[in-house]
Amino acid sequence: MQNLSAASAAGVLLDLSAVMILLLAFACLGSKLFNRYVAYYGAQSVVLSFAAGVAAYAFHSIELWILAVLTLAIKGIGIPVSARRLLVQRLDLKRDAALTTGLSTSLIAGGALTAFAYLVTKPQLLPHGVVAAAVVPLSTAVILLGGLAMVVRRHTVAQLIGWLIVENGVFLGAITLVATFPFIVEAGIFLDIVAGVLIMLVFVSGLTRRLASASAAELRELQG
Amino acid sequence: MIILVILAAVAPLAGTLAAAGGARARRAGWAGVAGAGIALGSAVYLLVAQLHRAPLRGWGGFLYVDSLSGFFLLTVAGVTLLAAVGSVAYLSAEEDSGRLSRLQVRLYFVFFGLFASLMLASLETGNLGLLFVLVEASTLASAALVGLEARSSSLEAAWKYVIISSFGVTIALAGTLYLFYSASGLHLAPDLRLTWPYLFSHAHALAPASLRLAFLLAVVGYGTKVGLAPMHTWLPDAHAEAPSPASAMLSAALLNTGMYAIIRFLAIARARLGDGFPRGVLLAFGFASIVIGVLFMVRRGNFKRLFAYSSVEHMGIIAVALGFGGVLGLYGALLHTLNHAIAKAVLFLSGGDVSLRYQTREAARVTGLLAAVPVTGGALMLGSFAVLGSPPFGLFLSELTIVRAGFAESGPVLPLLLLALLAVAFVAFARTTTGMVTGEPQASPGPYRGRGAGVAAVAPLLVGLTALLVLGLWIPAGLDAVIRHSMAVLS
Repeated sequence: MQNLSAASAAGVLLDLSAVMILLLAFACLGSKLFNRYVAYYGAQSVVLSFAAGVAAYAFHSIELWILAVLTLAIKGIGIPVSARRLLVQRLDLKRDAALTTGLSTSLIAGGALTAFAYLVTKPQLLPHGVVAAAVVPLSTAVILLGGLAMVVRRHTVAQLIGWLIVENGVFLGAITLVATFPFIVEAGIFLDIVAGVLIMLVFVSGLTRRLASASAAELRELQG
Repeated sequence: MIILVILAAVAPLAGTLAAAGGARARRAGWAGVAGAGIALGSAVYLLVAQLHRAPLRGWGGFLYVDSLSGFFLLTVAGVTLLAAVGSVAYLSAEEDSGRLSRLQVRLYFVFFGLFASLMLASLETGNLGLLFVLVEASTLASAALVGLEARSSSLEAAWKYVIISSFGVTIALAGTLYLFYSASGLHLAPDLRLTWPYLFSHAHALAPASLRLAFLLAVVGYGTKVGLAPMHTWLPDAHAEAPSPASAMLSAALLNTGMYAIIRFLAIARARLGDGFPRGVLLAFGFASIVIGVLFMVRRGNFKRLFAYSSVEHMGIIAVALGFGGVLGLYGALLHTLNHAIAKAVLFLSGGDVSLRYQTREAARVTGLLAAVPVTGGALMLGSFAVLGSPPFGLFLSELTIVRAGFAESGPVLPLLLLALLAVAFVAFARTTTGMVTGEPQASPGPYRGRGAGVAAVAPLLVGLTALLVLGLWIPAGLDAVIRHSMAVLS
């Protein structure tokens, strides 16, 4: 199996991108405007596609190059643009008022989760030095932060962005191993995300037409 | 053989194609029935052939069918056939009455076929990454069914379902990633690293710390699809809001597909970590689900929610059985999977008939079914007794096996607790359903036009009940061999 040591140029670049991705997840967690959610998610996906490109260059893998381009086209451009057009602008979403906790509380919780991610992904989890091992706790932290964003935000659009961040976190973890992660699986995951976003767009706009706002806080009809 | 494997997964698309081509409810429905029949036939043939030969492998591990997948194929394809027949009756009645538009009816059959076909395909792959892809895709297809009626409550249920399940399954993908990490020290051919048979046969060399995390994440992630508490919150809403034959598919096929994924991870975890850790995890989630399911069954209201909470309870029972382990535990778990699937399909289909006749899903507004509509009322009553584990139905036998497994594997406390919870469940559930079948009969106009639809409404109920009765009195030698063979795959 090919290995990237953390000291090589590609390893450093991968680590840097992973840190950027984590910071953008924090930025999303710390903002209150729908426009920014989408913008931070788009930026995160662009960095992710850069990371995929670095891995592709290091491993000389054509499949990874394809994935990098797909990530840029779909997650970096396609989903943010359509979310902005179809959701933020059409539904006239501005400030997210449906937060369960204050921003500072959720940022502190996010910090705690990041520490937790480092705690659980101790080196003995990763035998024989996996590619750029520093990426593993970072990707775990991004997954947890996305989950946190889904918990503290109750608006359906915000929850959708939270899920996409979780997905980015998993993808970041997969990139480091993609030299052996089959391409069909990666492509299938992509297809799932696109189909998922489409179907969620339908539900969110359907719900908004019926309720004054599509906040999950108002989804109270079904209980018990 | 490979052709049969493909056929089993692709055949249910017949209904999808017919509906996409513009067929109305009856035509599309019968096309779906034919497809489901072919899928069931292929599954049975595969299963019989599997008894005498090594597991089928192909396409670099993407295709892998052993007896365990064969057993689940049989269950899911059987349920698909029952639900497809039920769909003919339900959807043509809804179309005739104008409650569903033609577009909605066509969408229903498009997504019903897609949903069934994706679930069957996910049982046929040995690649754990592809398993995730197919399970997530089946979530999306079924979400469209849940939101089909486009009321605000059904859209709400569909949103809740799609966001919670997608998140859950993504967690399972993270678990798959950690399983992959735990194998990074092995020298396997690169394209086989993510395939179950290779990971299972090299389980002894996996890194235990990473594997432990992988198993936990997989149980939480796929457990979201199974409806294990506390990740079950989407389940009652989705089951209550979907059209009844789709609820039958969710409860009797989808939940089992999730459990299948957990069993695959469990086998690897047991082989490397021993019994203790996997048992603790499964018993904790299993008992939590039973308790939550039973508590919410006490509340009277929407009968489809009642059936849904009963599914939470039964998935908990299967998790507990897997947790007990041993020969009896595994045998009980598999037998219970099949029994519960048939019983729940019967219940949801008869519930669908009731809601078509009386236009309500509230249990309190339905009385005297046994006198007014004897077949539906009888199926509802016998189906409830079956699902509650009374003799002579199959679930009695499988629950007894599971309790015996508990006494053999873990001492008296847990099986006694299980028995007590089952007793509470019996009272809570039967209280509501006996109220529905007894009492003052209400006049009901027959919702079906034409003989075909009427037969399609009744046939799956009778077939399902007969199967439950047979399984309660006698386990056919073939089924016994199949279950034992499936267990051998896991040890």
